[in-house]
Amino acid sequence: MRTKQEYLIRYKDGNLYCELADIWIDPSKPVKNALITHAHFDHFTFGCEEYITTRETEILLKERIGDNIKIKTFEYGEEFKINGIKISFHPSGHILGSSQIRFIFAEEKWLISGDFKLQKDKTCKQYEIVKTDYLISECTFGLPIFKWDETNKIANDISKWINNSPEKTSLLFCYSLGKAQRLLNEISQTNFKGKIYSHGSIYKMNNCYKELGINIKDTIKIENKKMIDELRGSLILLPPSLSKGSYLKNFKNIQTAFASGWMSIRALRKRSGYDKGFAISDHADWDGILEVVKKSEAKNVFFHHGDSEALSKYLIEKESINVLFFGK
Amino acid sequence: MSLKRFSELFSDLDSINSTNNKIEVLKRYFLSNEPIDNSWAIYLLTGKSNKRFISGRYLKNLFSQIYEYPQWLIDTCYLKVGDSAEVITLLLKKKSTTRKKKLSNISLNELLSKTIPNLSKLNEEEKNLQIKNIWETLPEDNHLIFNKILTGTFRVGVSIGLITKSISKLINIDEEIISHRLMGNFEPSIDSYEFLINKNINLQELNSKPFPFLLANTIEDKIFKNSINDFQFEWKYDGIRMQLIKRSGNVSLWTRGQELVNESFPELVEKMSYIKDDFVLDGELLVWNFKEQIALDFSLLQKRINRKSPTRSIQIKYPIIFIAYDLLEINGKDIRDIKLENRRIELEKYFSKWQNKTENNISDIFKICDLIYPKDWPDALTYKEKSRENNTEGLIIKKKTSIYASGRKKGIWWKYKVDPMQLDAVLIYAKGGSGKRAGLYTDYSFALWKDKELIKFASAYSGLTNIEIKELDKWIRKNTIGKYGPVRSLKPEMVFEISFEKIQISKRHKSGIAVRFPRITKWRKDKKIYDADSLDNAYELMRKIS
Repeated sequence: MRTKQEYLIRYKDGNLYCELADIWIDPSKPVKNALITHAHFDHFTFGCEEYITTRETEILLKERIGDNIKIKTFEYGEEFKINGIKISFHPSGHILGSSQIRFIFAEEKWLISGDFKLQKDKTCKQYEIVKTDYLISECTFGLPIFKWDETNKIANDISKWINNSPEKTSLLFCYSLGKAQRLLNEISQTNFKGKIYSHGSIYKMNNCYKELGINIKDTIKIENKKMIDELRGSLILLPPSLSKGSYLKNFKNIQTAFASGWMSIRALRKRSGYDKGFAISDHADWDGILEVVKKSEAKNVFFHHGDSEALSKYLIEKESINVLFFGK
Repeated sequence: MSLKRFSELFSDLDSINSTNNKIEVLKRYFLSNEPIDNSWAIYLLTGKSNKRFISGRYLKNLFSQIYEYPQWLIDTCYLKVGDSAEVITLLLKKKSTTRKKKLSNISLNELLSKTIPNLSKLNEEEKNLQIKNIWETLPEDNHLIFNKILTGTFRVGVSIGLITKSISKLINIDEEIISHRLMGNFEPSIDSYEFLINKNINLQELNSKPFPFLLANTIEDKIFKNSINDFQFEWKYDGIRMQLIKRSGNVSLWTRGQELVNESFPELVEKMSYIKDDFVLDGELLVWNFKEQIALDFSLLQKRINRKSPTRSIQIKYPIIFIAYDLLEINGKDIRDIKLENRRIELEKYFSKWQNKTENNISDIFKICDLIYPKDWPDALTYKEKSRENNTEGLIIKKKTSIYASGRKKGIWWKYKVDPMQLDAVLIYAKGGSGKRAGLYTDYSFALWKDKELIKFASAYSGLTNIEIKELDKWIRKNTIGKYGPVRSLKPEMVFEISFEKIQISKRHKSGIAVRFPRITKWRKDKKIYDADSLDNAYELMRKIS
């Protein structure tokens, strides 16, 4: 067995790093070369010399960082070389532009899953099964208590939740990039036909999606001084950061909900302080992670992003898969 | 109505915070469902029965066995979820391959009066098979309710008060009447529901039921501005609050938790039937030291509560007394709306004659509550401070002109509790919580110094705010020095002020002491661990009291 230093990709300063190519994956501090899996804030940082990513992620990244950054983009499946290592992006189904990254060096394949989900999502490309020898996978929801319902079931629950309280303003909290657009797309297929407002941070992302050719329902940008009567019976999408603090004082007679995979647990729902929780996630559930591990045909698996103890033990005991640990 | 509708009601109630909305939802529900199912719904929602058909552990083992799931994986999930019924519900998702859900329209009545009780009649193998069968033919949305009923853990944020209000609004009858009708044993049946929503008030039917209890509020400063003569003072006993009822010759003992406990205290039932009058008394049941006329520890009373038909020797070993505070009804006449001072006169008039009689003496089991007469408020404070000496928790202060209202009515009765005892202790272990606190470290153990060693002396769960709990949880994860199963041993660094009500010698604990009702009253971030108290300080505290 090789030592940690001899792996093609390893942990360095808490980030994934490929020494042979001198390139970092989703680094949390400024570096020379950064491969970016997707445009969520915890997957990139300001100030890298060069970003390498997909075309879609470029647009989203520029919206978030600004235009003055150096970005090189590649299509999904397009191979490029750095120091003799073949690298390519593949759809991961997490949000628009999100990718898995594959490395091939000396016949050895490595795959970084990035954040991923297998569920259908009309606002981004479906997850692509990629074969590999080594798999580095996220495991945010790595316990069998996490099993997602069909997206349209959740969308119908949300629609019912709003329609059942026509005298109220329904505030739905969700991540502004990805989750919000997915929800908008799904909710527009339901029985809810009222007005939908979105917060500035979400509104911006909706426009990026539209620019990239994704069909997103039009929403009204929420202004601070909206008439309360006007908002009655309608839906407002807000980022979770606004759920605590004085922002909510702008509204009267509200009901609140949070859309997140964590909401499948009653204790977390109760503790979150929202009236209601909708368990919908852009990450894979337990079955999803297992499916990817199996279908990737990886002989060796690493986990990061999440509590991997139980998942690792399960794969070792039940599926005889070799789970390795990086150490940090 | 189907179990499905009840599952929806449960999920609605679970996600609504406003009381008014909950009442509306309940009202709508009662209107649109069958009386028998409404009756069961009330039975479940008010927690009238939490009978456990199988344990959470059994449920988890069964699931592990049927689906060949490793036990450790279920246990890991449990730590995150904090409730066996919910863990199994989540794990059951997408497990069943049966397309046709035969039980999709099962009624609440069928499930609760047949399906579940029938499980007890089966042998283990049949029972397991039947549960598996139910899991696979019941729609997923209903699994949670089924598993919760099975494990006796069905609880939802609905109080009896809320049910009372909904029924009261539904039929436009005073809450007091509904509250009265809901008191005591509520057997789920069409009749009991019809009785509950009956628009004609029939006093005869209410015969054996207790009145809603009047409860005391915490002392308020404004009370000290009043003349001391406006109030009646009693000791606050630490026993079982109870209404002792004799109507048409039948005696019934009702606790504040609305349980009929005649079977646990047969000697009281027997002696009280000597009295010729009919009556309703409000009072307290205690285990009593007759020689010194003083209450004995609550732990002794616990030995009596859960024991039905106690033997003669148990009755002698743990002698009980009923201390009467108040007279609510006499010979069929409800006197709750006359003034307390006049009710007291009636109480003495009817009951002092039964004490110290030569024949049919009841003074070995019954006593009218002694009153205390402080000269002024500072004197009342002195009495309060003395309350530990006679094993009471402080004083109860009652306005002499007050009527016997119901519930925690403001401005009538107050409790003036003796200040708790306190020690500063060091946090040394933490364990994951359950229920609402699942996934967080919320069960703490605290230690005191003995020479240079920290010795565990108490565990506490309550007292921190949610924000503090989260902060401490983070700290615990970073400062763990050892793991023993679910327990983490921690770097001694954090000091907390622990308050408790009683302290006594205990051979069962390494520290040699046991405390009652320990709780965290302050996070002493200003203190270093060497500022924490020692076991000697605790012994000193004990000496001062006894």
